[in-house]
Amino acid sequence: MSAPVNVALNSRGKLASSLPAHQRAEIAELFEFRRAGYSLDAPFYTDRSIFNIDMEAIFGQHWIYAASVAELPEPGDYVTVDYGPYSLIVLRNDDGDVNVLHNVCRHRGARVLTEAAGSTGNLVCGYHSWTYSPSGDLIHASAPGETKFDKGCFGLKRAHSRMVAGLIFVCIADEPPADFDETSKIFEPYLAPHDLSKTKIAYQQNIIEEGNWKLVMENNRECYHCDGHPELACSLFPTWGLTDGVIPPHLEEVWDRNKEAQSSLEERCRRYGLPYEVVEELDTRVAGIRISRESLDGEGESFSPDGRRLSKKLLGDLRDFRLGRCSMHLQPNSWFHFQGDHVITFAVFPVNEHQTLVRTTWLVADDAEEGVDYDLEKLTYTWKQTNLQDKAFVELCQKGASSPAYEPGPYMKSEYQVEAFINWYVQRVQEHLA
Amino acid sequence: MIELLTETAISEPSRIRGLEMPWNRVMGSTEGPAGAARALGPWHPQEFMAECVETVPEAGGMMTFVFRRCDGAPLAFRAGQYVNIAFPVNGEDQDPVDRSYSLSSSPTQPWTFNITVKSDPAGLVSPWVHENVKPGMVLDMLGPVGAFHLPDADRRARYLLLAAGAGITPIMSMVRTIHSLPGQADVVVLYHGAEAGGYAFHQELAYIASVDSRVKVFYSLGNRSKPEGWEWLSGRLTAAMIDQVAPDANGRQVYACGPEGYLNTAAELLKKVGVDDTSINMEFFSGDRQTLLEYQEELALAADIAEEIAEEIADSAQDYYESQPTAFGLYEPGYDAEGTLTATGLPLETVDPDAPRSEDGSSGVGEEPGSSDASSFDTVGTGSLTLSFMRTGINVRVDPDEHILEVAQRAGVRIGANCKEGMCGSCKVVKLSGEVEMNHQGGIRAREIDAGKFLPCCSTARTDMVIDA
Ligand code: FES
Ligand code: FES
Ligand SMILES: [Fe+2]
Repeated sequence: MSAPVNVALNSRGKLASSLPAHQRAEIAELFEFRRAGYSLDAPFYTDRSIFNIDMEAIFGQHWIYAASVAELPEPGDYVTVDYGPYSLIVLRNDDGDVNVLHNVCRHRGARVLTEAAGSTGNLVCGYHSWTYSPSGDLIHASAPGETKFDKGCFGLKRAHSRMVAGLIFVCIADEPPADFDETSKIFEPYLAPHDLSKTKIAYQQNIIEEGNWKLVMENNRECYHCDGHPELACSLFPTWGLTDGVIPPHLEEVWDRNKEAQSSLEERCRRYGLPYEVVEELDTRVAGIRISRESLDGEGESFSPDGRRLSKKLLGDLRDFRLGRCSMHLQPNSWFHFQGDHVITFAVFPVNEHQTLVRTTWLVADDAEEGVDYDLEKLTYTWKQTNLQDKAFVELCQKGASSPAYEPGPYMKSEYQVEAFINWYVQRVQEHLA
Repeated sequence: MIELLTETAISEPSRIRGLEMPWNRVMGSTEGPAGAARALGPWHPQEFMAECVETVPEAGGMMTFVFRRCDGAPLAFRAGQYVNIAFPVNGEDQDPVDRSYSLSSSPTQPWTFNITVKSDPAGLVSPWVHENVKPGMVLDMLGPVGAFHLPDADRRARYLLLAAGAGITPIMSMVRTIHSLPGQADVVVLYHGAEAGGYAFHQELAYIASVDSRVKVFYSLGNRSKPEGWEWLSGRLTAAMIDQVAPDANGRQVYACGPEGYLNTAAELLKKVGVDDTSINMEFFSGDRQTLLEYQEELALAADIAEEIAEEIADSAQDYYESQPTAFGLYEPGYDAEGTLTATGLPLETVDPDAPRSEDGSSGVGEEPGSSDASSFDTVGTGSLTLSFMRTGINVRVDPDEHILEVAQRAGVRIGANCKEGMCGSCKVVKLSGEVEMNHQGGIRAREIDAGKFLPCCSTARTDMVIDA
């Protein structure tokens, strides 16, 4: 399913490197001196040069989550995803596969598609109407008087893509990391039963958070701060990330309820043949992942105040609504919650060193009717609130990192996944800089 | 005595997703198979006469009465619905007594239909029915009525069917219907009875469960003491019992029919095991006053509709019995990709495909030449066909082999165009009426064409046209 890269990025007209050598060395040193178990030094969150390195070493080399099939259900549907200096077109082609094209016209570089999402046949640049086929070939450029113009040389640049269990991933590296296929094999059986190809978007929310993309990811990797999420705490056990032995007294009762709910969830999963075991390889592989199916509080069905379903139509061929949440975290830019009744996808797209787009998408069965099977307000309430609270937390940290008084602090035991994320990040960048 | 001859492993049938009632697509389609096919769709109740053709004694003091309509039409209904029958209990010259009975047969065998009646010695009507209704007797009926029935299409056909005593009749219709249809389904029947020998239809249920892997049947013996050798469940309905027969009840649609007390308990228990309110469908079989009143209202409404429609039908009786359509397009491979069609049912509308349509405000323009604004436009050019450009306010005459864009641009119609080869889509316009022949190269998508757009640079006109440009 991957698209070959037809044109290698050539270095023509580029500065030898995006950064002067001495600055590169300086940055490499910062990575070298990163103190394990502690948050990163301030420049990692505030410095433009490190942001540029992030775009080069992380977003330029790894598999990035872009969108789900529900966002481009029909041939010709597309979404554009932007991160850092890049803009990509993710387009559903007539074979049902996906083409990923750099959204940069080969004439004079204009953005070819300017909408965030839409539907198109051929792609026409708005400037001088150069026209590209859905696979990126230049098929028309009016050329009065030209004699030596070879259209074959000016196709849109292509990137790699993979569709797994209805999730679309892109990679702009010439040679994408190979272990993504193994990671796909891990998560595919967890997600496939929810059948994303038979879902539709109930709602999509784009928030720009005033914070570095790493702070957004870090914040998502721990529930140490979950006291700050009263709505979420109704259904998500606040003991998340804790283990026997480190349960504070005020959470003991919840912990027992959690364990009981988990064991009956696991029994149901075994009955229906759904995997639930925790697979945690956040920093032990290049395409880092954590996935599990975990119980929810209350009725255990969905992210609602009483844990009850928020949409009345079951996804895929699932047989039971009480399936808790199958949650997945993928390095570097996404996390997901798959319930019996709906799915929430989170995609993180860095804008610059201090701004990040967080895109949250709520998917329900494609035959679920708004107002009949689900109430949009209720469906989106918990995570809309939670996202706003998280945005505020991230922004507080960004402000802190900008202060001369800021000094890295220790990640606590329950924040081990934050450490894993940072460890993954540091390793990847160091490999790239080496 | 011959035991199993051979044990041969037989693999599961391969099935399409979900269940769809045979009439569903016919009712969802707006053209094509009309009249006769629609007669099979249960979109409204009717008044009709039916003749008893057979009586079949059942276990548990029940009797099945098989009828056919006197007018020869099939009886169209949904599995779970009932008919109202006028019984001349006090003789032919007295007012008949009306009673409603669930249909126990399957609507997929619509040429005859069954009701199954339990004789209640204290009752006025049921003993009379057992005694007097015989082959040859003709009765007045009204139906089908009732909202307790299987959906017309269901891609997640997972059901828990709960029946107590005579409440098995509509449930039996559902089981027979599902068994007669292709498609994936997952059906659990839990049937409560008062005594071991009192389960009507148990032989047929056992047979269906043995040959149809989609159907599982469980019996429970109410509160009575178990006879020797009873291998099924015993005791009243409990949450544990529901969990035992359907641990995934939470994700099923439940249909329950039986006495009031039984259903009230069932409602509570179902909630307890996590079944959503909207997934519970109930039919109060031996209704209390309230239920009876509701029945009566429903019947009164049905009678009104039946009367109205009877007149219409009399007028168009011919449509009704026209030749059967050759194929309804059911169960074709495209089914899964396109999903199920949803029939809207009421009210019945005759669709005349030739009638002028008005889908949006702009259509209708130019439908009647001479009456629209286009008649006041200047006309330029020569040719056999007329193109009316509504925004520009001009009529352009063209020949059928001329590309529309060129002629239009020459006449001063402003349509942006770049490639002129049907690739870039920049010339895309909306046609309000008329037909074109288009040879595009990806500049337009099928969806846009369906929405009435076309690329004039690579199109020629086939008829007179009205264009939004
Ligand atoms: S920049 Fe795209 S056509 Fe000129
Ligand atoms: S001008 Fe390009 S499609 Fe018509
Ligand atoms: Fe949070």
